[in-house]
Amino acid sequence: MMRYVLSLLAALFMLAAPALAQDTAESDGPLRIEITEGVIEPLPYAVPSFVADTAAASEWADKISRVVASDLNGTGLFREIPAEAHIARISNFSSPVQFSDWKAINAQALITGAVRTEGSGRIVVSFRLYDVFAGQEMGQGLQLVGTEQGWRRIAHKVADQVYSRLTGEDPYFDSRVVFVSEDGPKDARQKRLAIMDYDGANVTYLTDNSSLVLAPRFSPQGDQVLYTSYESGFPRIYVLNVETVGRRVLESQDGTMSFAPRFAPDGQTVVYSLTRGGNTDLYSMQIGSSQSTRLTNAPSIETAPSFSPDGSRMVFESDRSGTPQLYIMPAGGGEAQRISFGQGRYGTPVWSPRGDLIAFTKQSKGRFHIGVMRTDGSEERLLTASFLDEGPTWAPNGRVIMFSRETQGAQGSTSLYSVDITGRNLKQVPTPSGASDPSWSPLQK
Amino acid sequence: MNTGQIISGAGHAGLIFWALFGGAFRDVPPPNEVTEVTAISADDFAALMAPEQSPEAVANVDTPEPPEAGEAPGMTSETDAVPETAQPEVTESSEPDTPPEVTEPDPPAQAEVSEEPPVMQPPQEDTAALVPDRSPDVRPREAPRVAPEPVAQPEPDVQIDDVDQQETAPDESAEPVEEDQEETARQEATTEIVTEADDPADAAPSRSLRPRPRPTRQAEAEPEPETQPQDDPQPAAQEPEQTETAAPQSPEVDENAVENALAEALGGSDTQPDSTPSGPPLTTGEKEGLRVAVQQCWNVGSLSSEALATTVVVGVSMSEDGRPITASIKMLGSSGGSNPAAQQAFEAARRAIIRCGADGYKLPPEKYDQWRDIEMTFNPEKMRIK
Repeated sequence: MMRYVLSLLAALFMLAAPALAQDTAESDGPLRIEITEGVIEPLPYAVPSFVADTAAASEWADKISRVVASDLNGTGLFREIPAEAHIARISNFSSPVQFSDWKAINAQALITGAVRTEGSGRIVVSFRLYDVFAGQEMGQGLQLVGTEQGWRRIAHKVADQVYSRLTGEDPYFDSRVVFVSEDGPKDARQKRLAIMDYDGANVTYLTDNSSLVLAPRFSPQGDQVLYTSYESGFPRIYVLNVETVGRRVLESQDGTMSFAPRFAPDGQTVVYSLTRGGNTDLYSMQIGSSQSTRLTNAPSIETAPSFSPDGSRMVFESDRSGTPQLYIMPAGGGEAQRISFGQGRYGTPVWSPRGDLIAFTKQSKGRFHIGVMRTDGSEERLLTASFLDEGPTWAPNGRVIMFSRETQGAQGSTSLYSVDITGRNLKQVPTPSGASDPSWSPLQK
Repeated sequence: MNTGQIISGAGHAGLIFWALFGGAFRDVPPPNEVTEVTAISADDFAALMAPEQSPEAVANVDTPEPPEAGEAPGMTSETDAVPETAQPEVTESSEPDTPPEVTEPDPPAQAEVSEEPPVMQPPQEDTAALVPDRSPDVRPREAPRVAPEPVAQPEPDVQIDDVDQQETAPDESAEPVEEDQEETARQEATTEIVTEADDPADAAPSRSLRPRPRPTRQAEAEPEPETQPQDDPQPAAQEPEQTETAAPQSPEVDENAVENALAEALGGSDTQPDSTPSGPPLTTGEKEGLRVAVQQCWNVGSLSSEALATTVVVGVSMSEDGRPITASIKMLGSSGGSNPAAQQAFEAARRAIIRCGADGYKLPPEKYDQWRDIEMTFNPEKMRIK
């Protein structure tokens, strides 16, 4: 009996020993706490108007600081504190910052800059970024030089640096978008290719509206655009030089239709859909030699191919299972693996520049969605829902998706929208007229 | 022997006698089965055993009378109407059924028969085979008559002695007493020369202990009752002053005081704060209040997805008014992300600590030793983009 009691006491002590040891350990050393829940809200920042070193630079100083603020505000990750709330004024770019004045208005980041003009229409922009509450500069100051015509690109470059230093993400402001500009009613719509800055500024038309154009796609270097045109009466693939606007047909086999082209990451190979004898399969072509290779051979429709960033695989759309679904196969062709298994129809897949996600269009229960999923088809998330959303394209950093949205009715119009991959910050991209089929360029050099 | 022992012995003897001869240890006979019976008389038994007799025959039988003749019902020559039956409509456009398609089965492929008999491959070692349920050898196996393992010896009986003594055993927890032995070693040479500079730093303490606080004057002045004479209170009252004045006279104490003064004047000290805080620990509520206060300012909305997958441990020293000392905030460690991502996560954590501590965290001043140094782990797992 005594042994039993002693054994029981020993067992109780063994059970209590870890807790006692933990309490003892917690009482030693510094106080330790774990924080697992925070808040998700835009980071407040201040960007007072850049200091103009010369009178001629005052015009550019204000414009550039406004574009920087517009870029940052447009991400949904930052909130600008208006100039009316500023206590301090930045009158000298080189003077030390009084952080207490900016702490008082809860500005967690401060951007200061200076602009001066040089001869031959050049402007020089310098800027610094401060962590106000830490009381120190984030990174080093940077100076950018450009032409007066390219002042917006300089502003985008400044915003890119601020964005990267604050978020850790790759930048994307200094990029462009090629899209199909649409005019007129739905039953008599005129379409032409146009290119613009990512924020809708500097729209330039690349083709006229004499023939139907579809699905433009940027090259990895951003200097060429692939698109489909009905200029010959049948859909044909063209490649267009963005600078010279010169173009040439890429695929012109008689009795065939070619469409849905996309560049490989090397920029030398194009993969596309070709319809011959009522069957549509995927083909690849070397741009230099125009030699094509058949990648799929199935009685179903295979289209909308998109390469992985390393060029080893491609995702495409196929109805071989009865409904349009997404498949992945090696870049050179081979066995395809289905990755979409949800209810509805999947189409227009696009591989993320980061390589971790695939954006797609989904039609389910009478509505269209833009969504993302892992490359194995898991963790599908729908980011939008409307009467018609389609044609996603990735920002160069893989954080934002742009797509086209069409409203319902005979007078419905198409326009471009962008959304963060978290599903937040859905907003319309301003365009002078209707717009569809966007394709985001890589970051400009 | 006293009376009690006699009575007890007699009682025990009687009890033992009753147990042995009174049948206390006899086996209890099994209970008899009881069946319920009923006693009946001989007449009843005979009645039960007598053959069953036929009932008495009935002499008078009532014969039924024929019914009186009445008028026969009239007969009609009309025949009953033939019930109408629906005739199926015949459609001329009916087509004969199409004969089912008969597909002749393909003749089975003629098996190729080779002239040579197949060669049986010996089974591999890993091939599974069905084991019969019963062994063909039904003879019982011979069991060893001697157990393979020796049975533990029973405990020895208690030796009979005139005096009761408890069992004693050597105390295993007690340290063995070793005899003094001078250190000796064999003569040998080292394989390499290790200088003092090459010695691992682990041998040295990583941080020096903080000097203990000076005892209060009252404690020093309080005389010890056992050592102080009762009849002469004057020296006891002067002793603290003597101690206080005599202490600087000691050269060692004087040197430390000068060093401490120099260290304070230079704004730094070689001594580190004691790693083990004294005083009562913070309650769970006080810790929770600090955690909630910090997380209100921990904004992860502008962090990259990689930074959102990075956990950082941030160390911060606090001033006595509950404000974090900005210069003391440093990243102690990180996990789950690259260095740039960890830096982004650390900056967000630092902003949170400074912003929400600008007016001082609500921490109990009397427990300042407990929260002088804080390690905060910022784990954004719940905030991550799924």
